[in-house]
Amino acid sequence: MASATEQSETDQVREIGHEEYDPIGTAILIGIYFLILVLLWLFMYFVEFLGNGPTVVGALLTVVGLA
Amino acid sequence: MEVTRMSSTASRTYLDQFPAEAKVIKAAFWSSFMALAIGGLLGLVQALHRTDVLRFIDPADYYTVLTAHGVLLAITFTIFFLVGIFTWAVTTSLDRGVVDIRFTWAWYIMMVVGTILVGVSILGGVVDAIPTYADVLFTFYAPLQAHPAFYVGLVLFVVGSWLAGADWFRTWWAWRKENPDERIPLPTFMALTTTLFWYLCTLGVALSILVFLLPWSLGIVDSVNPLLTRTLFWYFGHAVVYFWLMPAYMMWYIMLPKLSGGKLFSDPLARVVFVLFLLLSTPVGIHHQYLDPGIAEGYKFIAMTNTMFLLLPSLLTAFTVVASMEHGARQRGGTGYLGWLKALPWRDPVFTGMALAGLMFAAAGFSGMINAGMNINYLVHNSWWVVGHFHLTVGTAVALTFMAAAYWFIPQVTGKALWSRQLALGQVLLWFVGMTFMSNAMHRSGLFGMPRRTAEPQYQGFNFEPAVGTVGEINAQVALGAVLLTVALAMFLLNMVLTSFNDDSDSLPANTYAGTLSGPEDSPAVLDNLKLWTAIAVVLVIVGYTLPLASIVDSGGLFGPDISGFQLAIETDPALVLESVREVMP
Repeated sequence: MASATEQSETDQVREIGHEEYDPIGTAILIGIYFLILVLLWLFMYFVEFLGNGPTVVGALLTVVGLA
Repeated sequence: MEVTRMSSTASRTYLDQFPAEAKVIKAAFWSSFMALAIGGLLGLVQALHRTDVLRFIDPADYYTVLTAHGVLLAITFTIFFLVGIFTWAVTTSLDRGVVDIRFTWAWYIMMVVGTILVGVSILGGVVDAIPTYADVLFTFYAPLQAHPAFYVGLVLFVVGSWLAGADWFRTWWAWRKENPDERIPLPTFMALTTTLFWYLCTLGVALSILVFLLPWSLGIVDSVNPLLTRTLFWYFGHAVVYFWLMPAYMMWYIMLPKLSGGKLFSDPLARVVFVLFLLLSTPVGIHHQYLDPGIAEGYKFIAMTNTMFLLLPSLLTAFTVVASMEHGARQRGGTGYLGWLKALPWRDPVFTGMALAGLMFAAAGFSGMINAGMNINYLVHNSWWVVGHFHLTVGTAVALTFMAAAYWFIPQVTGKALWSRQLALGQVLLWFVGMTFMSNAMHRSGLFGMPRRTAEPQYQGFNFEPAVGTVGEINAQVALGAVLLTVALAMFLLNMVLTSFNDDSDSLPANTYAGTLSGPEDSPAVLDNLKLWTAIAVVLVIVGYTLPLASIVDSGGLFGPDISGFQLAIETDPALVLESVREVMP
């Protein structure tokens, strides 16, 4: 461990160790982020695909560079 | 042992510990700020010109301005700041100075000379007295051609950055001799893995410049294969994105937890993230070329797969960094499922700037996933959406983190207290608000097909049709956002200048970074095996690039069909343009 790592903070009111720390708030925030991603993906269908032609990867020959 | 070494560094700034290195870092930061000042101001000129709010430059000169904006901000601002931060990280975490400070000055001066050459070359596009031209945009691939001085400047700058990397490795080797059994400290590990993929990816751009573009510009070879130079650029062009992002990641991992009042949740996870970036940053460049004819879709699919894997380290980072902030907030007395957010130090501009930058990066993650998807990319490719995306990534996640970090670093390397914390807090908030307006409007305009890299996207007999809102409203948001960003930039620079002249040197924080809840001893030693990860990274590059490059050379020739360069700065007869358009569009 390097010498310059911070060991204490002046505003600290309690010490929480590795074993007792449960990042439940982080899990909730990440969950909200994934929910936003899912909703945006659904929204994307309406923004981009409805009314536009399909955009797809070509046939096998173009995939391997033969055509 | 740790405690005694702790006491030796307690309440000491970086300037007290490493006065010689602090001078180089300060010089690198100021080089970075100068690039930010000029490049940022040119961004305002472009935003006002494009949106037709204020047009005082010739439309042809727009591309000179755009080139300067891109090169100065994406290359110069970011990389000068990076070399400063990495030099700090290596020396601080190894608790020793660089091996030879003259070598450190040498690479810094080399980078400065390179930047001046590049800057003057671009300036030649608008100043008749300078006989150079370089309206080639930040991407500088053929068929756009620049004056040889532009390429020589780029080479000097990149070689300077290579030597900087060598400097960090030398320092680490010297430390390893004295500490043969210790794990690499995390900040040094981050700097070294980033340097390794920088070496790997810049080989492509070095090849492109030295073998093709420079000889072509000098007239030694008659033509080049544009697709080859494009592909070699993007071989470097996506990894450079991670190169400038990694110092921001480093700040989020080793500074944010400390500023939050806690510790880094997991040192091993941070190591895994940087190893993944070393492995995956380079073999993904073809995702910038989804619409390029001449590259088979199968190769593009491989690039897309690699790109999707790159989401993994960013999502790991989101978890680790937020968990570290939550740890700090709970140690500061925060409670509840989300109530702990209120316990974070939101009045600290360094913390708030970095946290808001991270929040913007989460939004950029979404538009990045759209860009990365091969089929969806077709819908936004070359539109203003992409510009909106990278103003969230490099323009906020990186730039705002760097500005926030500067509020901590400049006092560390000058020994002078920050002139105004209130101004700094207002500045990071204003940047966030300005970018919200500008980037959101850019994304939306891309959705209805407004092109990027276009001086005046207004056409006779054609109107863009947004699904929601109007073009006028979107333009107003872009112009407003750009003005707010420029004001924020001025506030930042003012604070930096006044800090440098500040007489107050009391109550400076000590030069420290975050401790860890789970340290390196919890991770397998193989994570520190840099040779192994570099070897795998090289294999991935070979797998991802050999066949596409062979195919491009096979179909277009090494030096291509006879392609003459375009020099945008030279006035072109509109009739000739129309004629050449008719040639390609029957």
